Amino acid sequence: MVVSQSPLKDIGASHQLPESGLYVAIVNSSDDAIIGKTVDGLIATWNPAATRLYGYQPDEVAGQPMTILCPPDRIGEIQDILDQIARGERVQHHETVRRRKDGSDVHVSVTVSPIRDEGGRLIGASSIGRDITEQRQARAAGELARRAAALQRVNGNLESFTSSVAHDLRAPLRALAGFSEALLEDCGADLGEEGRGYAERIQAASHQMAMLIDDLLDLSRVARAEMNLQQVDLGAEVTRIAEDLQRDGLGRQVQFAIQRPVQVRADRSLIRTVLENLIGNAWKFTAGQDSPLIEFGTLPAAEEPGVCYYVRDNGAGFDAAYAGKLFTPFERLHSAGEYPGSGVGLASVKQIVERHGGRVWAEGAVGAGATFYFTLDPEAIP
Amino acid sequence: MTSQTILLVEDNPDDEALTLRALKKNNILNEVFVAHDGAEALEHLFPRGAAEVQLPSLILLDLKLPKVDGLEVLRRIRAERRTRFVPVVVLTSSKQQEDILDSYQNGANAYVRKPVSFSEFSSAVSTLGMFWLLLNESPPRLHPPSD
Repeated sequence: MVVSQSPLKDIGASHQLPESGLYVAIVNSSDDAIIGKTVDGLIATWNPAATRLYGYQPDEVAGQPMTILCPPDRIGEIQDILDQIARGERVQHHETVRRRKDGSDVHVSVTVSPIRDEGGRLIGASSIGRDITEQRQARAAGELARRAAALQRVNGNLESFTSSVAHDLRAPLRALAGFSEALLEDCGADLGEEGRGYAERIQAASHQMAMLIDDLLDLSRVARAEMNLQQVDLGAEVTRIAEDLQRDGLGRQVQFAIQRPVQVRADRSLIRTVLENLIGNAWKFTAGQDSPLIEFGTLPAAEEPGVCYYVRDNGAGFDAAYAGKLFTPFERLHSAGEYPGSGVGLASVKQIVERHGGRVWAEGAVGAGATFYFTLDPEAIP
Repeated sequence: MTSQTILLVEDNPDDEALTLRALKKNNILNEVFVAHDGAEALEHLFPRGAAEVQLPSLILLDLKLPKVDGLEVLRRIRAERRTRFVPVVVLTSSKQQEDILDSYQNGANAYVRKPVSFSEFSSAVSTLGMFWLLLNESPPRLHPPSD
């Protein structure tokens, strides 16, 4: 009790009780910061624990407003507390943030009680504060552990879901495809042309669904696969993909313009999936074009790390109004009869690019080709 | 060749019918014993009581099976001296990396994913029969240690 300030005189000394010396000792030895303040919120007494908690010596805070212990965004709290005290109410344990002398913030639990003189007149308030940093950390750690456990459960469910899709969903398709083929082989003559047509449709639909399931599993693999970052020349990868397409392309003549080298840090297998999808799409959608051209290169970009990559074609393009749907799994902007596909490729592209800390977007118009842009920012990978 | 038998471990009756059809289509006329779950497969390979059964020359093993799953069957086959070298081909729906890795880690000789198309399935079965029953030289029979 080093601070003495009117009208709240040294609390211990103002009492005439024989145990007053004991009260002083109790306050001084308390582990909680005990601060006496006037009805106006000026600091009157300040115990050693308050010095330990807030860093101020008693003479530095004597007569100062309580607001010096507040971060600027919490100044209003002090007035609210004073208003409550003025009404004679206690302010029960509440958790808040206070600022130390060195400018650092500390989480505290505070109780404020009105103090009255012998006549019952309100003369000030005592504020008892306790550092709850450790409790908060323990609580946060507990919360983190709970979330980790919940996440693990979800992941476990996802694994068994994926496994079930991989194992169980294909079996009925084999029966559909297999027995309709058996039907065609063994009883084809009895079926007639119409019946054979139906059996062929069953077969085709089964194969289509098998492809969908595989694409779905690929998408989930892309989301879960472990990343192994290394130096990759995107230009060289695009060249290889273009060569593969030209070789299997049934004589299609497509002109490629590929910038090389384009060095990035990426997971080679995943980033190759991105390029295969984008180049593959460009290849597919330039099918009706007389002089198809597919370009790969880089452009300056506003966002980190200052460069974006693009794949541009002069093919069928797409309706810009639906550009947002492009990257959603199973959304397709063209009918299956027009251009085959399951609508999973670009969803995989988005997953992979985002896992590399980047972003993907597209520009295009019907009949005017499409350009897909993406950025990669391995530094930003969490 | 006809003395060589095949053990097909398959719980799905459709897949069983398709596999048998594929074997027949490809003139693989070996006797086929079908076990419909892992426990039945183990009973066939390790019968209770004395009578020693003839071991199959090829085991076609599905992974996802009732009672005892395929990996456990595989582990038991590899753990027993008598069956340690019997060729086991995992024939299953999945091509998930974990499944493939688990199978090889437990001693599978091959891993084949059942294609949806019957003609592809049939040619896979034909290739398997051709390779494991005709081309491949089996290790000499191991006799249980005499005691």
